[in-house]
Amino acid sequence: MDKNFLQSSLKDSLFTGLIALALFGPIVGLRTVAVNEALVVQPKWLVVALIVAFCAIGRFFINIYSFKKEQRRGEPSSLGKAISNFLDTKGSQIALGAIIFSVIFPFMPFADRYWMDIAIMMMTYIMLGWGLNIVIGLAGLLDLGYVAFYAVGAYSYALFAIHFGWSFWICLPLAGLFAGMFGILLGFPVLRLRGDYLAIVTLAFGEMIRILLLNWYTLTKGPDGLTGIPRPSFFGLPFKRYPDEGVETFHTFFGLEYSPMQRIIFLYYLILVLALITNFFTIKIRRLPVGRAWEALREDEIACKSLGVNPRNTKLTAFAVGAMFGGFAGSFFATRQAFISPESFTFIESAIIVAIVVLGGMGSQTGVVLSTIFLIGLIEVFRDFESYRMVAFGGAMVLIMIFRPKGILAKRKPTITMVKEK
Amino acid sequence: MSEKLLSVENLTMKFGGLIAIDDLSFSAMKDQITSIIGPNGAGKTTVFNCLTGFYKASSGSMFLNKDNKTLDLKKFSDFKVAQKAGVARTFQNIRLFPQMSVLENMMVAQHNKLMAASGFSLLGLINAPSFLRKEKEAKEISKYWLDIINLTNRADDNAGDLPYGDQRKLEIVRAMCIEPYLLCLDEPAAGLNAKESAELNKLLKFIQKEKKTGILLIEHDMSVVMGISDHVVVLNYGKKIFEGTAQETKKSPEVIEAYLGTEE
Repeated sequence: MDKNFLQSSLKDSLFTGLIALALFGPIVGLRTVAVNEALVVQPKWLVVALIVAFCAIGRFFINIYSFKKEQRRGEPSSLGKAISNFLDTKGSQIALGAIIFSVIFPFMPFADRYWMDIAIMMMTYIMLGWGLNIVIGLAGLLDLGYVAFYAVGAYSYALFAIHFGWSFWICLPLAGLFAGMFGILLGFPVLRLRGDYLAIVTLAFGEMIRILLLNWYTLTKGPDGLTGIPRPSFFGLPFKRYPDEGVETFHTFFGLEYSPMQRIIFLYYLILVLALITNFFTIKIRRLPVGRAWEALREDEIACKSLGVNPRNTKLTAFAVGAMFGGFAGSFFATRQAFISPESFTFIESAIIVAIVVLGGMGSQTGVVLSTIFLIGLIEVFRDFESYRMVAFGGAMVLIMIFRPKGILAKRKPTITMVKEK
Repeated sequence: MSEKLLSVENLTMKFGGLIAIDDLSFSAMKDQITSIIGPNGAGKTTVFNCLTGFYKASSGSMFLNKDNKTLDLKKFSDFKVAQKAGVARTFQNIRLFPQMSVLENMMVAQHNKLMAASGFSLLGLINAPSFLRKEKEAKEISKYWLDIINLTNRADDNAGDLPYGDQRKLEIVRAMCIEPYLLCLDEPAAGLNAKESAELNKLLKFIQKEKKTGILLIEHDMSVVMGISDHVVVLNYGKKIFEGTAQETKKSPEVIEAYLGTEE
């Protein structure tokens, strides 16, 4: 190995150790303990030394094995290359396998209540990721307020269902429609903005919606939230152990034993179907003129104008369509929880969804699934370690950015080809 | 004498106190190549930006004769100049969609007609035969143009991966996909070698003769300007200092003075 290179790696890792010392020294090393009603500083230098050593040595290995080995940071690593080659060639088989697996998942022996809940949560994030992928991945509009549309969908579903008693299948499209309208509402003022400025305004929009929900007490009950949102029924058959007089339930209709799992499994299939609709819609619309215009707009807005593509309509449709799917996911969230409050729609949700899209590889549908499994899965695995959950989340992002700087799956397939696909 | 295609009258463009174009009038004929030349900073690209709606001219007028109708170009805002009036343009620094394939670049240029055919995506979503037919036609048109510039075999590669000269040519044929009446080319020969600019001349001649499209050309490469222009307009400091044929331009003392300065 080159001597210079070793030397610079060593220097770099020592520097990393210094930064770690500066950060973790005060945070971890100095702990105040109450002794005889007085606060005493109790240093924990061993822990600090361990953390610093870990950072420095870790950095050294990253230097050797990832950054400087090939002297090309932008290039995917060999493992990443192998994975994306595999996914490229076997893409459709993998997708089919994944769909079959998700269909039979509830009947797996290990699929208990805990696993089903995680699966439903992941599916919701996958759907949100796919929805936001239209806005960020295809149209290139960095939207940091996506959770607003999720909230609009959830609240409009809840309000329609509570006040008018309409069924899930009527409220769902209405919630999507409402969210789509809010998408256009957000779209208009930000038409001229790009990049960072757009991100700031969308972020503010997300917060505005949340604060509106907090303060419009007469409509949304503010921080108390909305309770008693009707649970979904299986085409009119409710999932209840003791139904009202004369009402047939799911388990009596099919002659089954009552089990609370029936409702969970139904919810799982519901979100699976909604997510798959989002996916197939996106795949299809990408190949239509409007989808191609979205991508062209992401690439170069001025060139689009010179070719007579209307940037206003193109952006607004991207916002509206993305928001609509956010609204669908929101109404699913409302019916699943039966209770919603502004607490569920904070900025961190938007950030997680953006992270899923960006880390998955902008515009890649499979990438969204992989990064959701990776990120949400990690948060779940670290559930018992409370305060380290977000550390794990951040660590996962750092790892992906080191090894796959353009996202897990960065390869883009053309929407139309001259030669027939092999 | 052929018909007048474009007439620019008393065009003035001010940026604050700076007068980029000062009372400029010229006209371009149908099926002719009109060149706009001049030293750097003479206001050539500003003329293009006014024509194609990227800037709003401070005063003056621009008229385009399209199918015996006179269109006031000032009434069209940015993308509508291309969509409604049929004025296409290319850029000094190439503006392709680099992460999209060559064919996709050509398809985006046919966006408006495909969008209408896809019934604002509703017919497209259900694979309506009328839309699929239109899409196939658009693909044929793309292939026709790509054949002309010998890029058909690279149609599925990313446009950003093409060599520089091919990117220039691709940008020109992409602009031709909107079936323009007037094609405005901003320094198409910049950065091309002798062989490539000869090819470019051929392509421009083809567009002029076969497609009956008027071409407005900004160019520094005099082999291109003198080789193919029917008419030359010379600008300096935003003012027109000369107008005439290529031969006349070469001999004009004003032009020589603007480029080389005067003997004291």
